[in-house]
Amino acid sequence: MTPSLELQAVSKSFGDFTAVDEVSFAVPQGTIYGLLGPNGAGKTTTLRMIMDIIAPDSGLVLLNGHPRCRADLARVGYLPEERGLYRKMTVTDQLAFLAELHGIRRREALPAIESWLGRVELAEWGQRKVEELSKGMQQKIQIIGTVLHDPDLLILDEPFSGLDPINQGLFKDLLADYQRQGKTIIFSTHIMEQAEKLCDYICLVSQGRTILEGELPTMKRRLGSNSYRLVADGDLERIDKVNGVQQALFHDGSAKLLLEPDASGSEVLSELVAFLSVHEFRSQEPDLEEIFIKAVRDATR
Amino acid sequence: MRPGNFRTIAKREYLARLRSKGFWISTIALPIMMAAWAVLPSLMVAKARTSQKLAVVDRTHLVAELLQTALDDLARRTADQVSFDLELVEPRVDAESQRADLDQRVLDEEIAAWVWIDPEMLAENRVEYHAESVSNFITQQALTGALSVAVQQVRLVESGYDPEIVAELSSTIDLDTVRISEEGSRAEGGLGGFALAFGVFMVLYMTTLIYGQQVMLGVLEEKSSRVVEVLLSTVDPIDLMAGKIAGIGLAGLTQIAIWIATAAVLTAPGVVAIMAFLPAGTELPTLSPILVLHFFLLFILGYFFYATFYAMIGSAFNNPQEAQQMASLAVIFVVLPWIFFLPILNDPDSTLAVVTSLIPIFTPFLMVLRIAVKMPPTWQILLGYFLTTALCVGMIWLCARIYRVGILMYGKKPNLRELWRWVRYA
Repeated sequence: MTPSLELQAVSKSFGDFTAVDEVSFAVPQGTIYGLLGPNGAGKTTTLRMIMDIIAPDSGLVLLNGHPRCRADLARVGYLPEERGLYRKMTVTDQLAFLAELHGIRRREALPAIESWLGRVELAEWGQRKVEELSKGMQQKIQIIGTVLHDPDLLILDEPFSGLDPINQGLFKDLLADYQRQGKTIIFSTHIMEQAEKLCDYICLVSQGRTILEGELPTMKRRLGSNSYRLVADGDLERIDKVNGVQQALFHDGSAKLLLEPDASGSEVLSELVAFLSVHEFRSQEPDLEEIFIKAVRDATR
Repeated sequence: MRPGNFRTIAKREYLARLRSKGFWISTIALPIMMAAWAVLPSLMVAKARTSQKLAVVDRTHLVAELLQTALDDLARRTADQVSFDLELVEPRVDAESQRADLDQRVLDEEIAAWVWIDPEMLAENRVEYHAESVSNFITQQALTGALSVAVQQVRLVESGYDPEIVAELSSTIDLDTVRISEEGSRAEGGLGGFALAFGVFMVLYMTTLIYGQQVMLGVLEEKSSRVVEVLLSTVDPIDLMAGKIAGIGLAGLTQIAIWIATAAVLTAPGVVAIMAFLPAGTELPTLSPILVLHFFLLFILGYFFYATFYAMIGSAFNNPQEAQQMASLAVIFVVLPWIFFLPILNDPDSTLAVVTSLIPIFTPFLMVLRIAVKMPPTWQILLGYFLTTALCVGMIWLCARIYRVGILMYGKKPNLRELWRWVRYA
């Protein structure tokens, strides 16, 4: 199946600063795809290039297998990191205006607006000006504005930043709903736990470059083979010095051991039992944060 | 360009202006100010219209009758705007007591004023006028005029001329001022012509700047409310800029149309009482269709030029305070037309007038002024339109490039060198 969205070696520089350096990835249809990386990694610039807000210096952006043109973007829902609404407009006018920009007539948009406002319990607020709404309410309106035209592809830049817990929940439900309908969602975040809970696929970027890309479970399996959970008594300080152990992280009476890539778990265990009484020792999937830290370290090496 | 998006943006901007209180306040306030300017003097005239009761003591026994005739004539010519109700009082021997009595009648408000015509004083060309208020300029001037006419006639008769011939020869002349233009001559007062020129210049000037600034504030609002990136995901920045400029410009045109309609009603015959004080036969200047057409075209050109410039400034800066510094640069250019206003009004064909009105950034204001005063040669008008349009296109090209970079830039205030780099980014 053609990917919903594909980037081929997309680059962008601003003067001497390379914001995005030959980034490539493919987003399969119907998945939730996470674009991860620390602040300043080039996530927003990448998403802006997908939305044709910034023109790439080189590279290709394909939507459903074709170079994307502006008209295709009307079928995309985009929530930028820098987002806001016209303060003096009424909620209904504001949403109808956004729908019109996506090629939907006002008349056709009005019933959808009404039903969405009902769904987020703002049915009474349609004729009020945006500036009269609380921040949380405005966030709801912003989310409705992103999905009102029923897009096939959602592109969300740090969607959860600044959202209150209620709206985070609302948004997560919405994303789950969208995924059930077979739609594709791309979102960027710098919060790894979030991505870990939601994403099927991830792309890790750092300093404008792709570091890792792929299906999350596969990636964990591939990168997780050399991480072990250890519960033991004894001279825990010595664990670090055992051959093959890269790092030992202690947490709640257990330790997480990161081994050298070519070290074998059983050899390490045989050395450990010499000075520890081991209660538990098993292979463990790393969390995304570890994968990321490791990947960045490998990339800079 | 996507026409659908352009229309959607323009419609939103237009409705946003028309729904704002500011639009209607300024729409109503300006005509009221203009009307006050036109009507207040006429209200003062209307106050004088209640015919003044005037006691006349004519100790020469010659002037009063002719004064009556002269005042009747004035009343007729001014359509009863200025009329006096004369009461001829027989001179008494005891002048002092008569004067005291007359003073008392003024204080009792029986009469408004009294006039004392004395042969000795008349020899020195003087007549006494006593009233509670002696600052009623219009009354006094009308009275002076009528007295002069009457006294002249008396003197001519005394010199041996036939009274009938004197009356016939001393009939008042009415000056019919006629403006010559290629559209054909039409009657127009000198004062009215000035008012028209000033009016069109002023209205064009103010609307161009006010609506240009509105564009700047609109762009800044989209930046500071962070709504701009939401829009850019579906709208090309050029559509966004063009739609905004068009929508706000349409609001400006709507306002001007309301004003022109108001002006047409205000200057309709009989509405403005001041007409009576202009020389007889004068019509207030009416807005000719050709002037209105040029006015709209020049507004559109001037507005596009300045609005594009202001859109660029709005996009490059983060808040109105920062932008104002740059915007004040524009004001320097915009103030210059004022310097040329009077010279052009006095001599609309002078080299100065021709040259300055062909400088594109001044053309909208100065060409409309020239058209209002005296229709310039067609080639000059066309050249002016051409040069301004060319400059507009260049301006739009330049500003669009800065705009598309600027609207996504937050943070540091850019300097001119950075702006130039933005031009080359796109």
